[in-house]
Amino acid sequence: MSATESASQTAPFLRAALRLIGWSGLGLIAVAVALSDFLAHFPAGVGGVGPMLAAPSALHAFGTDLLGRDVLSETLHGLSVTVVRAFLGALVAIAVGGLFGAVAARLPRVMGLTLRGAMGVLAAIPALLLAILAIGLSARLYAPLAAGLAAAPLAFVRAHDRVDALSRSTHAEYARATGISASTLLRRDLTYEFRDTLATVAARALAAVTIILSTVSFLGFGATPPARDLGLMIAAARANYLHAWWTAAFPALALVVLILCARLAADLDEGERP
Amino acid sequence: MSDTGRILEIAELSVARSGAADLDRFSLALDAGESVVVLGEAGSGKEALIRVLGGFADRTDQISGTIRFGNAEARPAAKRPRPSIRIAYLASPLAQPFVGHVGVLGQLSRVVARKLGSPLASAREELRLALERLVGAPPLAVLNEKPGTLDPVSMAWGLLACACAQTPDLMLADHPFADLGPNAVRTLLTALAAEQKRLGFALLYTTEGLQPAGRLGGRVVVIRDGKVVEEGPAARLASGHAHAYTRTLFKALPQLSLDEPRGRSAARGQPLLQVYGLDLVAGSRREGLTFELRRGASLALVGEEGSGRRELARAVLGLDHAPAGRVVFDAVDLNILSQPMTSRLRRRIAFITGADDALDPRMTLWDTVDEPLRAHLKLSGDLVAGYREAALKRVGLASHDGRRTVATLSAFDKRRLQVARAIVGAPLLAVVDEPLRGLDAFAQTIMREVLTDFRTHQGPAFLVITSDFTVAQALAEEVMVFKDKKIVERGPIVDVLRSPKEAVTRDLIAAVTLPGLSQSPPSV
Repeated sequence: MSATESASQTAPFLRAALRLIGWSGLGLIAVAVALSDFLAHFPAGVGGVGPMLAAPSALHAFGTDLLGRDVLSETLHGLSVTVVRAFLGALVAIAVGGLFGAVAARLPRVMGLTLRGAMGVLAAIPALLLAILAIGLSARLYAPLAAGLAAAPLAFVRAHDRVDALSRSTHAEYARATGISASTLLRRDLTYEFRDTLATVAARALAAVTIILSTVSFLGFGATPPARDLGLMIAAARANYLHAWWTAAFPALALVVLILCARLAADLDEGERP
Repeated sequence: MSDTGRILEIAELSVARSGAADLDRFSLALDAGESVVVLGEAGSGKEALIRVLGGFADRTDQISGTIRFGNAEARPAAKRPRPSIRIAYLASPLAQPFVGHVGVLGQLSRVVARKLGSPLASAREELRLALERLVGAPPLAVLNEKPGTLDPVSMAWGLLACACAQTPDLMLADHPFADLGPNAVRTLLTALAAEQKRLGFALLYTTEGLQPAGRLGGRVVVIRDGKVVEEGPAARLASGHAHAYTRTLFKALPQLSLDEPRGRSAARGQPLLQVYGLDLVAGSRREGLTFELRRGASLALVGEEGSGRRELARAVLGLDHAPAGRVVFDAVDLNILSQPMTSRLRRRIAFITGADDALDPRMTLWDTVDEPLRAHLKLSGDLVAGYREAALKRVGLASHDGRRTVATLSAFDKRRLQVARAIVGAPLLAVVDEPLRGLDAFAQTIMREVLTDFRTHQGPAFLVITSDFTVAQALAEEVMVFKDKKIVERGPIVDVLRSPKEAVTRDLIAAVTLPGLSQSPPSV
């Protein structure tokens, strides 16, 4: 086997292994989110369960924060809020961006390209700015929707380009020549793209929306107490971070693990980095 | 070069990969000026032979046996002895041997310069002289293009000139002219034979087709599953006094028949396809193409690449819009209908092509056959499965796992799958574009039979696009010969074969007439 061939055969194996790690991590996170009320020792936002800013110990594995809240319990609740909101946002990004992008690619060429151009311009604007703008025009309550809409232009562009390339492929051209209608071809593309790429697209959107939502919350435009997400927890720990590192480090670690798992599950695709 | 004239001696060469033998105790001796054509199907072991001789064997190849180059000692083949002779490698232009962003001329000049150890300017001059000596080759300036814009035939000329300019002792030709069209192959092979005679190099030519076996002379080594089936001169192997496998391979030998076609009557039904004044060149003032094809009839559009036959077929299929003219299918002008109505009419058109990307690689084998049925007819699942099974059986794919995706199928399987998809559509017209391109001799024979069976049993009209008169004759009764986007000759194929009027027609017939091997029409 040549060196090139050997490398090309190793790379898919490595990628598959990384994807498996990513999906396994997301699975564990999903379990933790589903059982967060059971796993957490204390309900969300309950203060005074321990001394203020106590270091990690046997009683409080992640320590306590300024209000005496158990950081482990708060991190689990924060992870739950973050994942649920990111999941909703990712659904919006896929539905609005991906689906409309696929349909736009099947519109008359001029119309499709005009939409593609407009979305390309929006995709060039940092998604964080778009999300803050959308929240400002609506309400903090709609932050997941805003984050999903902010990630949608890039999803639109990617879906459009993929479906456009498919519709201009030789096999589609030949199918049309033998009477296969545009709707059958669209159905064919949606079926196979849904089967082959939905999981990857969903994981990619989840990573992108998680970053947007956490940053928005960190800046104070997102989640509001008592429903604290990881971004808001990190923001709240800023004042004490230098002398009580655990208040910010553990929520940040949870956030990093969530995003890393989603990125690994999405084949380390960097395409929708906000 | 060896004093004794022996250039290459391979003894008991075996190549295995992952436990499976690619080549099994292969032995061959080759003298200066001698040619050996290694003939076999894809995967028969030719690739392993070239890999070892060319020095690009894989690390996982388990190699045994010895190789001796020229006068040097025989050395273990696993260590690929450094050749004491000069070896030139002649690749196929379709194997993408060039880097995309650099001009072909520059790349070829660098190869010659490195092999001869000469300055680049001098290598370029050698290349120019080599190209000038090749009868029928384009001028050097043509090669000054990047690979993406240069046609494969010109690239093949460049590669041949590059190999000859190295003044080799041994030339390894790895399917160099596969799929270039019979006329181009004939000219290239004639030029190669002339250069071999002039320079006296030994030639080892691997091929899946029969043209080189017929035109280069010398020995033909028939190889199957890594083993030599038999060897001998092409004329003997083609004569019928040969191994059963060899006879099967030689069944694909181009054979033109001067007998009147049997079974298919010239009397036919209503016109199915009518083309009026179709002009393939924008803004030209010449008279457009006009012809008609009746129901159940068959017409071959024969010509070289770029002659206009494919443009005509694309216009008929609606893939391209011709600048002027009308295409009437089943009494309806396709250009004036809305898209949905055109789609309805096109259901009765099947398209079978030699392009490997004609089918969606994501679809499964079953889905590919089912799609026309599900898209056009409201049939129950059982009926769809029944039609699918019958069609797959007809083309010999019934035993394949129907859940395999098209991407995992071989070129031969993909080609037969196209026919199965056409069969379930019950078309009135089948447009067949170079259906044998890229297939080995064995697969070509089967593919001809599959297409003939399709036509016999379902009776669609056939519009055959090819540069090979034997394919035209196997699938059609009438022919139109194209040149420069014009019809230069038309009529029943047998009449055209008996008395071709135009030089281009004579060239096309000569291209598939192998001296001493195939029956040649009296006019050629």
